Amino acid sequence: MTGSYFEDVPLEHVEETPGLTITSAHVAIYLGLTRELAADGGAVPDVLPLCFTTGLGWRVPKPPLVVLAFMGLDWQVLRSVRVGDTIMSRSRVVTKRPMRDAGVVVEEREVVDQRGEVVQRGRFTYLVAKRTKETKA
Amino acid sequence: MGELRRYFDDIELGEEYESPGRTVTEADIVIFAGLSGDYNVLHTDAEIMKQSIFGERIAHGLLGLAIQAGLFTRATQAYATLAFVGLRWKFKGPIKIGDTIRLRAKVIGKKEIPKPDRGLVTVQRSVLNQRGEVVQEGETDLMIERRPRP
Repeated sequence: MTGSYFEDVPLEHVEETPGLTITSAHVAIYLGLTRELAADGGAVPDVLPLCFTTGLGWRVPKPPLVVLAFMGLDWQVLRSVRVGDTIMSRSRVVTKRPMRDAGVVVEEREVVDQRGEVVQRGRFTYLVAKRTKETKA
Repeated sequence: MGELRRYFDDIELGEEYESPGRTVTEADIVIFAGLSGDYNVLHTDAEIMKQSIFGERIAHGLLGLAIQAGLFTRATQAYATLAFVGLRWKFKGPIKIGDTIRLRAKVIGKKEIPKPDRGLVTVQRSVLNQRGEVVQEGETDLMIERRPRP
């Protein structure tokens, strides 16, 4: 499988994604999917920008991380996001811990709005595949 | 509906809730992939996932997190929430297509803060599947409005 394996992940390399303008269509689909309740017409549920950060990473032109499992996250919401705001995500890997067949990767991630303000931030922990004989670089 | 919301003062330490169940479908996963843009093979490639330790596609971890947020609103009367402050979360096991998940939640913290009109409530949450296995768990911090003083 093509992708970035544990060995390929650079430490402390800052990656920025393209932006995404959050529309009322995104919010409507999200509310229908989750049945969360909206605070008011222009409000964006706080979990939605967090959900976008994983997908925004896929728009960075590089092979995706070969994730075996998403282990956990610590997340802080610093300010609310409104419909019409444009967010992007900035991330860097801060810890790599090798294990036998895989490795743990801890990534620090921020969600930044069009004013350059950090609206959400936290840490993601993934279990990432190591290269095998078949997938040697 | 405003009067029905529960203020910081109304919420008691140790309160517990349990939500109805919700069956996670293939459609939920497809919609979430489209909405989030996360097309990781874990969620979208049935053939590769046959060879994986899971044996099949699994739901996005954040889809489970988002669904439990919705289940919380069905588990108890709405809080007078001003803001979602943060969370500490662990993904313990996969949610597979057809699994039925429910939320078990408990108020484990109430903290007054310098601002007199609000307080911080910490809710411990476990997401269980139909076999009673905990697939996700963690704590969420919510800023809740205090009952307005006359």
